[in-house]
Amino acid sequence: MAGAATASVDSDSSSPIVTARDVTKVYKRGSEPGLIGRIVGRSEPPAVHAVDSVSLEIAPGEIVGLAGSSGSGKSTLLHLLSGLEQPTAGTVSFRETDLAALSARERTRHRLENIGIVFQRFHLLDSLSARANVALPLVELGVPKRERRKRATELLERIGLGDRITHRPGELSGGEQQRVAIARALITDPALVIADEPTGELDTATGQKILEEFKQVAENRTIVLASHDQETLEICDRVIRLRDGAITTRQTQEVNR
Amino acid sequence: MTLLASAGIGVLETGQQGFDAADRDLWVTSGETRITSAGGGGFENTLYNSRNLSAEMNAHEGVRHAFPLAFDTVYVSTNRSAEFHTFVATGVPQGGPVVQMTEGKGIQGDPHYANGTYEGEMTREVVIDKETAETLNVSIGETVNIGGSLAAARENQFTIVGISPTFERMLGTPTVTMPLSELHQVTGTTQTEPATFITITVEDGASVSTVQQDLEQSYPEYEIRTNQEQLSAVLQEQVLLLAAAGALVLLAIGSGIALTISLLSLVIHQQRQTFAALTAQGISRSLLVSTVIGQGLIIGFVGGGIGILLTLPAVSVFNRLAEAVVGFEGLLQTAPWIYGSGLGIAVIVGTIAAATAGWRISRTPPLELFN
Repeated sequence: MAGAATASVDSDSSSPIVTARDVTKVYKRGSEPGLIGRIVGRSEPPAVHAVDSVSLEIAPGEIVGLAGSSGSGKSTLLHLLSGLEQPTAGTVSFRETDLAALSARERTRHRLENIGIVFQRFHLLDSLSARANVALPLVELGVPKRERRKRATELLERIGLGDRITHRPGELSGGEQQRVAIARALITDPALVIADEPTGELDTATGQKILEEFKQVAENRTIVLASHDQETLEICDRVIRLRDGAITTRQTQEVNR
Repeated sequence: MTLLASAGIGVLETGQQGFDAADRDLWVTSGETRITSAGGGGFENTLYNSRNLSAEMNAHEGVRHAFPLAFDTVYVSTNRSAEFHTFVATGVPQGGPVVQMTEGKGIQGDPHYANGTYEGEMTREVVIDKETAETLNVSIGETVNIGGSLAAARENQFTIVGISPTFERMLGTPTVTMPLSELHQVTGTTQTEPATFITITVEDGASVSTVQQDLEQSYPEYEIRTNQEQLSAVLQEQVLLLAAAGALVLLAIGSGIALTISLLSLVIHQQRQTFAALTAQGISRSLLVSTVIGQGLIIGFVGGGIGILLTLPAVSVFNRLAEAVVGFEGLLQTAPWIYGSGLGIAVIVGTIAAATAGWRISRTPPLELFN
């Protein structure tokens, strides 16, 4: 895949793609008390530690799973690793660049060039064809139209949707829509792919098939995948289990690649 | 929106067409022209001695014809029923305004007038419109009783000789049309010979405005107006009608804007998580807003186009319905600017609404939209 993106996968490099050091994310439930609230003795809203002192390193080409029940902090940690959220404490670095040092605009550009995101719900634009949905990030990168169409078509063909490129999302099955979403996440040739419950909206058989295709088409990219489904996590090299925002176990699985 | 606006325009245009259909150049009135509070809504007749006055005006330079025209409220019943209905009766003199006939024959002169003696024989013929015929369940050849009072109506029988929509269209209400002298006779006004208007047709090649100015100088106590001025004079006194018609047009535009904004806001709101996902993937605000504007433009053009295409058959259906239910023909009237406004509102307001919604979504942190 010809890369317009500035970052590319470097499987040989030993330096981690993403590093989190003592990362904590605290949310407050409710608003801070105002002047009158303080006078009448309204207390501070309770704090929730969504992610609590998490440290991890993810090497190039690794597939890392984040496991845990609902509310364990999987999605928040994914958001922190991708730069969608800023940690309350600690640092998240992408190839030794502290994401907190980047402006909002720079973080947006960083995600465009280096990170692909696959959501549980496919989040495709209904008014655009499958190919146009996939090509949309390339518009942002300034890739010429002909090149965009060529690359999106090739990627959709690789993921088995060669005969669906002009179909709109409403004309595609759930599995096909998720394939389109995966292709959109990979079209910029990102070094890191984040997937949050990528099979959550699919039946088991379709989910397994999609995961295999995802792994295949992602080639040797680094993938961080959050799921509470054990079968989904089986494609991972290692699984980090979270509970109440903290890491409980780090389990390295037999590499199944 | 186009249908509502058509209704508003229809109300205004019907009046204009009514005056145009009369094929007169000038309208002479005495004082205000207003709707009476009595009966079926005839005009109040304040132009007295109309026969002599119209004869004087007929002799004026540049005038080809000058005829009095009277509208009055009368009671009408059929032979089959003792029930009386009120209608507006139109009195036309010999050679009066052209009455378009759809069935039967028209009014055949005004012999009863007999040079002001009212000793001539009454024709006892009347022309009615389609709605009057349906209301009374009568047809050509049948007789009806007509009079300015119940007693007069019981004594005066008229034979229906034709069906004409002319005055129903002009007044927007069911009418019976008869010779002017016979209207004066059955309403007991032969002494004063009141008319609602004297209508004037100018000679070919004569200037309407010049004749108007000459007549105004000769008859300063009367109002002499062109078709458009006469319509305006009538409508100025019908504030409620004007307000209703104007409100319909404004309502149409307002509801069109509100519906467009609502639709676009809904469409974009439904996609807010998709836009959040695109923002998360690094799509910039400008591309996001451009995408949303593109959607707004497409929806505006498609929606506006469909609306315009549906307006023509819908107007036809509504007009037939209105004619069947209330008797008005052409209640909804379209105009190019209505179509243009409909499409313009759909596209421009749709695009602005989409741009605003897109801008708001682009300003919202993506994770807030996911929650």
